[in-house]
Amino acid sequence: METQRIVALIKMELKKLIREPAHLFLMLLFPAVLTLTFGLAFSDPALGMSFDSMVPGLFAYACIFIIMTIAQSFTDDRAEGLLKRMNTTPLTSVEFIGSHIISNMIIATLQVIIVFILSILLGFSPNTSVIGVLLAFLIIALLSLSSVGLGLITASISKNSGTATGLSFIFILPQMFFGTFIPVTNSTRIIAMCLPSYYVTNALTSIFRGDSLLSVNKLIDFAFVSIVSIVIVIIGIQLFKKFGNK
Amino acid sequence: MEQDNIAIEVRNLKKYFKGKFETVKAVDDISFSVKKGELFGFLGPNGAGKTTTINILSGLLKPMEGTAIIGGYDVNSNLKKVKEQIGICPQEPAIFKFLNGRENIELFGNLHLMSKDVLKERTQNLLEKLDLLEASKRKTKGYSGGMIRRLNLIIALINDPQIAFLDEPTVGMDPRARRSTWEFIGALKNTNKTIILTTHYIEEAEALCDRVAIIDYGKLIELGSPKELMEKYEAENLEKVFMKITGRRIVEGI
Repeated sequence: METQRIVALIKMELKKLIREPAHLFLMLLFPAVLTLTFGLAFSDPALGMSFDSMVPGLFAYACIFIIMTIAQSFTDDRAEGLLKRMNTTPLTSVEFIGSHIISNMIIATLQVIIVFILSILLGFSPNTSVIGVLLAFLIIALLSLSSVGLGLITASISKNSGTATGLSFIFILPQMFFGTFIPVTNSTRIIAMCLPSYYVTNALTSIFRGDSLLSVNKLIDFAFVSIVSIVIVIIGIQLFKKFGNK
Repeated sequence: MEQDNIAIEVRNLKKYFKGKFETVKAVDDISFSVKKGELFGFLGPNGAGKTTTINILSGLLKPMEGTAIIGGYDVNSNLKKVKEQIGICPQEPAIFKFLNGRENIELFGNLHLMSKDVLKERTQNLLEKLDLLEASKRKTKGYSGGMIRRLNLIIALINDPQIAFLDEPTVGMDPRARRSTWEFIGALKNTNKTIILTTHYIEEAEALCDRVAIIDYGKLIELGSPKELMEKYEAENLEKVFMKITGRRIVEGI
């Protein structure tokens, strides 16, 4: 594994984020707009839902959309012959996928920073230490790993960018509605318990509530997100190597 | 041909594609050798099997049968080593549109693990030679078709490959740009590089190639220097040679 190749690809991905308006909007402006909208809409406690209880879900919500951008990006690169061209160089698939994982972890961290700062400005007051905040960033980075994996799976089964956009919602919608800030009921809990975003939101809620950072429940949440993310990425890599790079 | 002097050795290469109604024999039992430092032309109409052959030689496709030894390494068993010494100029230019010309070149140089200084120097050199220096800091989104073609060629050569596959490198260029690109490709011969050139421009092959292989329906039907072939078929140019052999014109393939 060569660092020079990984760094070059990460730089390229980050340039895409800055220079492609659609990516910039979806990755950085969308989380900002979402936080502002929810912050203002739920600022009145009379509504029965406080903004503070929604912030953990907003953290996860933004990161889920990485699935769509990854799927679009891979299908576009494939259609333009870029994947084939890179495949004629000595670049390995581990370096290629690794660079995407790292660049999307960086993007997820940027998203969390934006959501976190705006939430604080809108009155969110987390009851945790600096270590707690760092743990929150870590679990979001893990969620971004699963998003990269789901993006790879979507790209592998999509023939073009349009299909990838549509199919990505198969993975986005359940995580949005059953795993973030919308309260789960007894009947939807079973679905939610299969989704990484549910455990991420649980862990973040617990961190921001001020629970012990080493509580058993939190460790279970971390373990679940870690294992599921790794499994999803492995499935994504295998599918992409077999079908996605043709 | 002496073994030491051979850059590419292709033996009994086969690649068929199964369609709904029939099997297309894209490459059908092709064998040939290319000498080190040779500029070898691959001629044939659309769909003859040129690009499929190049895709196999560059490791993008696996052959059904047969072998190809590139620079001493088998594409079936030592692809990594093959990739380290080749450069590919694909028929459809593949460049990142949100990067500028220089960034595109440097990205591929980094994928070949070139050192910073060498990469900078070689990028500058190729940009100058292919007249893209002025536009190199502009995003490629605004490039003309000819500029994109030239950038495509630079990327193929950035790693200073010993063997370069140039698949229709001058398609879409205006006559002036095409002429200067031919001169550039011709000059590569002086650097002892082995070049496989596929083209529809018969005068390009005639002017540049040491030898040409004519391929049609996946089969290699003739091989020799342009002069030898013209003498053999008593034709005044390669286009007429092609007509005599296949009964079709090379450009349209009809």
